[in-house]
Amino acid sequence: MSSNSTPAVLIDHCSKWYGQVIGLNDVSLAIDGGVTGILGPNGAGKSTLFKLLMGRLKPSSGSVRLFGIDPWEDTAPYRRVGYVAETEKLYDWMTGHDFVSTLARLHGMTRDEASERASHVLEFVGLGDVQNKEIGKYSKGMRQRVKIAHALVHDPDLIILDEPLHGCDPIARTSIMSVIRDLGSQGKTVLVSSHILDEIERITEQIVILHNGRLLALGNLHAIRDLLDKHPHRILIRTEDPRALAASFVPEDPVYGVRFAQEGALEILTNDLSAAHTILPRVIFESGLKVTSIENPDDNLDALLGYLVGGDS
Amino acid sequence: MTTLSETDDQAPPAEPSPPPADTHGSQVGGKSDLDIGSGQTRMEVAYGAGDGDDDAKAVVAQKASLGVLFEQVYRPWNGTLGPRWVRNYAIFRHHVYGLFRGKGHRHYNPFVRLAILVIFLGSLTPIAMIFLSVTISGGEGADFLNRMWGVNRYNLWGQVLGYFPRNLCMWPLLTALVVGGMISDDRKNGTSAIYFSRPVTRTDYTAMKYLSAAVVLGFVIVFSYMLYYASSIVFNGEGWAFLIDTLPYFLGGLLAGILLVVTYTSIGMALSSVSQSRFFAAIGFLAIIFGTKVVALMIEMIFGTTMFYILSPYDSLAHVGQWLVGIPANYEHPLAFSVISVLIFNAASIGLLVSRVSSLEVTRE
Repeated sequence: MSSNSTPAVLIDHCSKWYGQVIGLNDVSLAIDGGVTGILGPNGAGKSTLFKLLMGRLKPSSGSVRLFGIDPWEDTAPYRRVGYVAETEKLYDWMTGHDFVSTLARLHGMTRDEASERASHVLEFVGLGDVQNKEIGKYSKGMRQRVKIAHALVHDPDLIILDEPLHGCDPIARTSIMSVIRDLGSQGKTVLVSSHILDEIERITEQIVILHNGRLLALGNLHAIRDLLDKHPHRILIRTEDPRALAASFVPEDPVYGVRFAQEGALEILTNDLSAAHTILPRVIFESGLKVTSIENPDDNLDALLGYLVGGDS
Repeated sequence: MTTLSETDDQAPPAEPSPPPADTHGSQVGGKSDLDIGSGQTRMEVAYGAGDGDDDAKAVVAQKASLGVLFEQVYRPWNGTLGPRWVRNYAIFRHHVYGLFRGKGHRHYNPFVRLAILVIFLGSLTPIAMIFLSVTISGGEGADFLNRMWGVNRYNLWGQVLGYFPRNLCMWPLLTALVVGGMISDDRKNGTSAIYFSRPVTRTDYTAMKYLSAAVVLGFVIVFSYMLYYASSIVFNGEGWAFLIDTLPYFLGGLLAGILLVVTYTSIGMALSSVSQSRFFAAIGFLAIIFGTKVVALMIEMIFGTTMFYILSPYDSLAHVGQWLVGIPANYEHPLAFSVISVLIFNAASIGLLVSRVSSLEVTRE
């Protein structure tokens, strides 16, 4: 958390235009402490937001402040910022330890400090046993983790992670999520972007949703989810006899309709997703029918965005 | 369950073995140490060759060790980050030390390192010749060697600004090898983001890259020049009179050498900053150095004027160097033109370099 009263990130009525295309539209945010998920589909403005924070873009209007300082004018805030870019390249010929300690020295650490700190952060992200291996030989997940390590090496107060889980296998995802959660619990301000709701949901409850450059929602994930739960929802059940199963569901309260959208599948329409899921096992059991899968087609970011922008979910 | 490797038709029927504790487990190849129930994992692979009846095999992974979750302890750092010069020195050493050690520093191809070493050794050949002239003191041979390689105004100028072999084969190639990838590699790989997400300004980034390239060039060009002068004094046992006599034009040559290093570095860095390939930056540099000279030479041969040598960075430097060392100029045009030419080359190159670095990582502005 920032040491003084100014928040780590303060964006005030910030807009960014790329010629005729708008990247970010009158966004205002103040973030300090804990993990905040920046959600939005591709082209929503997440990367523009991060580039503005990292001083790589100048706002067309409004202002951006990191710890009260304009990052476009002054690089001083980067002493307290760790940044993991989505597509950042690494020095593949270096070992993980050499890479992280070299970058630690770019922050002004001495050689011994840099070496000791590099070892520690590499241990923290689970790369302790491969820290002397060349980065070129690392897997995608290990590369992502070494990027997180180099962003943490100077013990920053604000950590910005642009799609850190992109391209990682499930094990790497789990360990990276664990690292991010742990950083948040240390009191650091962590911004993590993703276009996958489930990923963010497993990391944090505090989310910012961007869409077409606009700030759509900001706040607790559950509160936003509640809004989604009050919206008409579908549950797709694949079964051997959809019509027989539909007959079992129709009398139930949370269900207001059924549909046979696909062959071998039943679509249940409900206004109360939680209640529908509560009765689901009982009804299926009592029907005696074999069910092969149950899906929530609306339980994703697109549906949430659809609801928030007032379109179809 | 059948134990494949232990099946024996002659053997008496064995007593029935107790049922396996875990129905998922199997006993293959005489190994019964699979413990699926406790959460340990196994891999079972069976394959055969031929008809598979005679030497059927099963290969089973040995008992797997339990997965270990890494201990995740984050320890805050309470140290003090160094000031700006410490960060800048880190950039500088990262680029310079890479010539000598790969560990933790900028990567230089071994052939580039070898080429630099050969050029450096080549620049020291006059020292070897002076040493030779001393060892065979007396006679025409020693006189010839002293005349050819001993310290005088012409040789001091030639050690830095002589065209062949130094400015035809050595210095431009050295510059192309060292400077070519300085910024173009970052442009190509996007590694400049590593710097710009840290408290490193674009000025620091540019200045340190420039300085590190200039130091490497300076080490070969200027340091070899100084060694040449010093070794001549030592090998010939020269005294104060020689020093007083030769120091002014030694300093003139030193200044000319520094000017050459600065100008070549400026042009090379500018080309590196506009390219995404170290190859094209290097070739571009060689093309400018050699191309402008060839054009000026052709114009001189056709029209009989040396004026167009001001387009050639080498010739402008050579002209200025001749004045600094105090030898007659090879050029008919005024010295001021060459001085202005050198200044313009440097100013234009540094201006281009700065503007290109300003746009690095700043997208779609």
